[in-house]
Amino acid sequence: MTPILAYVLTRALMFLLSIWGAFTLAFFFFHLIPGDPVSAYLQQLEQQFSQTVDAADAAAMAAEMKARLGIDGSLPEQYWRFLGNVFIRFDLGPSFINFPKPAVEHILEKLPWTLWLLGTSTIISWILGFVVGGIIGTFRDNFASQFLINFSLVISQIPSYFTALFALFLFGYWFVLLPTKGAYDPGIEKDLLNPRFLLSVARYAIMPAMAVVMVGVAGTLISTRSLVTTILGDDYLQFAHAKGLRRSHILMRYVLRNAMLPQITGLALSLGFVLNGFYLVEIIFNYPGMGSLFLSAIRLLDYNLILGIVLMSITVVLAATFIIDLFLPLIDPRIQLSD
Amino acid sequence: MFVVDAWKRSGYFRVGGIMLAVLLAIAVLQPWLSQLALQNPDVSPMSMGTFEPYADPSPRHPAGTDKLGRDMLALLFLGIRVSMLIALIAGCTATGIGISLGFIAGYKGGWVDAVLRTGTDMVLVIPSLPLLIALAAFLPTISIPVMSLLLAAFAWPFTTRIIRSQVLTLKQRPFVDLARTSDQGDMSIIFLEILPNLLPFLGVSVAVGMSSAMLAEIGLQLIGLGPASINTLGLMVQQSVQSGVLAIGKWWILFAPVSCLIAFFVALNLINIGLESAFNPRLRSVTGD
Repeated sequence: MTPILAYVLTRALMFLLSIWGAFTLAFFFFHLIPGDPVSAYLQQLEQQFSQTVDAADAAAMAAEMKARLGIDGSLPEQYWRFLGNVFIRFDLGPSFINFPKPAVEHILEKLPWTLWLLGTSTIISWILGFVVGGIIGTFRDNFASQFLINFSLVISQIPSYFTALFALFLFGYWFVLLPTKGAYDPGIEKDLLNPRFLLSVARYAIMPAMAVVMVGVAGTLISTRSLVTTILGDDYLQFAHAKGLRRSHILMRYVLRNAMLPQITGLALSLGFVLNGFYLVEIIFNYPGMGSLFLSAIRLLDYNLILGIVLMSITVVLAATFIIDLFLPLIDPRIQLSD
Repeated sequence: MFVVDAWKRSGYFRVGGIMLAVLLAIAVLQPWLSQLALQNPDVSPMSMGTFEPYADPSPRHPAGTDKLGRDMLALLFLGIRVSMLIALIAGCTATGIGISLGFIAGYKGGWVDAVLRTGTDMVLVIPSLPLLIALAAFLPTISIPVMSLLLAAFAWPFTTRIIRSQVLTLKQRPFVDLARTSDQGDMSIIFLEILPNLLPFLGVSVAVGMSSAMLAEIGLQLIGLGPASINTLGLMVQQSVQSGVLAIGKWWILFAPVSCLIAFFVALNLINIGLESAFNPRLRSVTGD
């Protein structure tokens, strides 16, 4: 077997194993919850319609619902069925939203919006953070660099939904420049070939994207700057300097190229975590992505859909790590395939 | 003491420390401060309809009043106290779990280490916020301790990682060998020889645990899953987003709790940077301090 094939196979095996492990963990997490999702849901229904159902009927309803949701039977039975459903049939069972529309369909409908909004803004913030971080790492001593790094250190820990709230206030209500809710103008026909529709999609994405970019840039900027600082101390760069190369040339040809590899790993990881941290930004802007879907699922206590979204987030993170593992040896010749 | 050293060595630590001290003082003095703002010993900051709703900021109500006619300043003090308490319990619990696992993994090594490390990496890679929200949705009641424990359950892997790597390097050091040859027990080596060297790292991990607990707390509240009877800063943010205060121009109702939370995050972050740059010389070039 060639080393490349062996490497790819090991990584793929590791990927499948970790997916299985994480799914199992998530499955048992859900079963650790005291009480069961069905009776919680029935209680919610009773409160909502202020009706009481007598115990026998409630039990019958609960049994029927559990059977439909696929959560009846003993724990090992459920676990096997869960594995079969998820890995072989790619089916999570029906959702409460438009019952019995499958939960998977809901997720696939909303996923493109989230990937477009958060994927794009993550990439933009990575590029900005990388370039600016490289520049202020090379020209460390002037006032602007000092200011930028300190400013980033301060704002990098602020959650993106706070910047979202500030953006909403400033551009949505104070200056009334941008739309505050939704993903496109509902007055325009939804057609991917219609330029007016695409324009409105872009316009509606500006504010939420800005909120994510502001915080994302700070993080990338800090780590790029520290990488650049370490790289600049290396012998070959002192040599380049001694040769009399200009600093901007050194920055472009030597420093950024070497800083790029670890940062690409960082980019892939943050793309993976797109589904984790930014639910709330979508909720603030009422953006019809995974975040808003998750919110409606939570409100309805929609067991299958909630489990589905959690599994989706796990898959995206693990897939991102897997893809980095596959591509890193291609872009970095220093990585040996033997391990 | 490492705090004094950090104070001397790092400007970041000084600024963050002062900010956190002010917030801590507000949290401790809250019963008195809230009364000062309410000027009426019989009402609590949370009781509704005490004042006129949506009053603009004035000398009587420096931060105005909210939709339910509560004095925002008194409410804000209470929010700082409760949020701080939850974050502290969660941060300390997470650090406790993290230290224990980190020590066991680093000190024992072998298969124990392998199992613990795999488990930690697994929890690190699982997106915690959705899972946390899902758990909270199905829990019947949430009180301050339950909430803190829930938040701590996802905040420990970071501590486990740093403690493990520190223990791995420390146990190779001559003074640990000396302790071992002079027949000290494992427990006394851990507590008397290794742990004192890790105090700055514990500071970092309590701060990280606190801020990640707080982050998750706001996440839960914004979705509307936190208990409405506990007035955290996150709940105040959620209530003002919900009642659309931005649309009616009462922005200060939203930005009062938001700026307190930002002050928290910034203070904890500065303390972290300060501790790291004071005790981890390799990082000094990062912050340029």
